[in-house]
Amino acid sequence: MDEAMAHHPAPIRHSPLWTRAFHSLNLLVLLVMAASGLQIYNANPVFGGRGGATVPELLTLGGWLAGGRDWHFGFMGLYALNLGVWIALLIGQRRRKLADTGDLGTLKASQNKAKRRLSAHRLVYTLMLILLAFGLITGMAMYKPAQFWWLSGLFSFGEAFGSTSWQTLRISHLATIPAIALLMLAHVTLSWRIGGLRLLRSMFA
Amino acid sequence: MAQQAATKDATHLNRRQLLGLGLSGGSSLLLGGCALNGLSETVGNATQPLNERIEALMQGKGPVPLFRRDQVDPKDLLVNSFNGVPQLDPARYRLRVDGLVSRPLSLDLAALAALPQQELVMRHVCVEGWAAIVAWSGVRLADVLALAGISNLGGYLAIDSADQYFETWDIASALHPQTLLATAMNGAPLPAANGAPVRLATPIKLGYKLSKWVTGLKVMASLEERRGTWEDQGYEWFAGL
Repeated sequence: MDEAMAHHPAPIRHSPLWTRAFHSLNLLVLLVMAASGLQIYNANPVFGGRGGATVPELLTLGGWLAGGRDWHFGFMGLYALNLGVWIALLIGQRRRKLADTGDLGTLKASQNKAKRRLSAHRLVYTLMLILLAFGLITGMAMYKPAQFWWLSGLFSFGEAFGSTSWQTLRISHLATIPAIALLMLAHVTLSWRIGGLRLLRSMFA
Repeated sequence: MAQQAATKDATHLNRRQLLGLGLSGGSSLLLGGCALNGLSETVGNATQPLNERIEALMQGKGPVPLFRRDQVDPKDLLVNSFNGVPQLDPARYRLRVDGLVSRPLSLDLAALAALPQQELVMRHVCVEGWAAIVAWSGVRLADVLALAGISNLGGYLAIDSADQYFETWDIASALHPQTLLATAMNGAPLPAANGAPVRLATPIKLGYKLSKWVTGLKVMASLEERRGTWEDQGYEWFAGL
C-alpha cells in the first residue's frame, strides 16, 4: 500500500483554513511566550539568583527585561484566549479527543499499532492542555501576587521542603517550558509516524 | 485543461513556498529575535491599556493579606540602586510635602515618629523576578498626606529621592492603607543601603516604585513628561501587584 501511494500520491487533504491558522497561531504564541519568558529569567536566574547561569541570548526575545515583559504580557492574553478556545472546541466536539483511563490500558496491552498511536496522542493532547493551564495559573500568581494572593498562597506547600512559596512558584512556572517542549516533541514524532511530510503539509501549507 | 494544470501547479508551488515561509519564520523568531527586539515597546504599548483595564476590574478593594514575622528571611532581600548609596544626616533630614496641598510641610524625623506607627510584614516583589518577605515599619503615607491636606484636584504624587531617583504614583495607591513611609526594617532602624532614613513600602506595587532615601513628595493634578527613572526607559508605570 505504501508503494502504491508513492507512485500515485493522492492529493493532500488540507485541514480547514481556520484549523491551520489556529494551529500556527498557537505555535507562534508558545514560541513568543517561551522566548520572552527566558528573557525575563535572565534578569535574575531562578536557579542561582544573581550569580546563576543565564540563557543564551539566541533563545530570548525582547532585548532586555522591560522588552521581555512587553512581549510576555502582550501575548499572555492571546495565550489565555487560545487555551480557552481550544478547551471549548474539545468539549464541543462529538468525537473523543481527550484521554481517559481506557487509553492507558490500550498503551499497556494493545498490539494494534494504530490504536496505540491514537491513545498516545490523546494522552499528549490532554497533558498539553493541563500544562498550558498550569502555566497560566502559575503566571497569574506571579504577575499579580497581591490580587491573586489566594492563588500564590497555594504554592506555600514548598515551605515544607525549605523553599519559599515564591521560589516554588518560579520553579513551577519555568518548568512548563521544558515540559511543553517535550510534549511538542512527542506530538511531532507521533504525527510524523502517522502521516509524515504529507500530514505536516496538510497542517502548515 | 492545460490552464487548469498550470493553476494547480501554481497553487502547489504556493503551498511549498508557504511551508518554507512558515518554517523559516519560526526559526527566524528564535535566531533573528534581535530584529523583533525593536518592536518590544510597540507590543507593550498596544497591549498595556487592555491589561490595565482588566487589572482595574479585578483589583481588590480591601487590604492585601500579609505574612507572619517568622516567614521573613533577611537574605532574600537584594539591594538595587541606580546611583550608589547616599548618606543622609538624620539630624538635618527633612521630608518636604508640597504641590496641591493646603499646608505645605517640612517634617523632621521626630515629627514622623510622632505619627501613628505600624509594622506590616509584606512580600517585596522585584521586577527582576525575585521576591522577599520583609517587615517594614513606619507611618502611613496617607496620614502624612492628610496632615498636608490634599486638594481634590490632586491625582498624582511625585516622589523625589536624595540619589536623584524619581517616581510618580497614582494618588489611590499612595493613599492605600498599606502604603508606608518606612523608617525601620525587620525590627531595626532602616539600613542606609535599604533607604535610610525614609523609604516607601507597599504590598501593591513592584519594587522599582518603592523609592528609597525619600526627600520630597509633591501632589500634582496630572502626570508630566518625567514619569519615573525606570518608567522613562520602558518599565510599566502603574506596576501594580
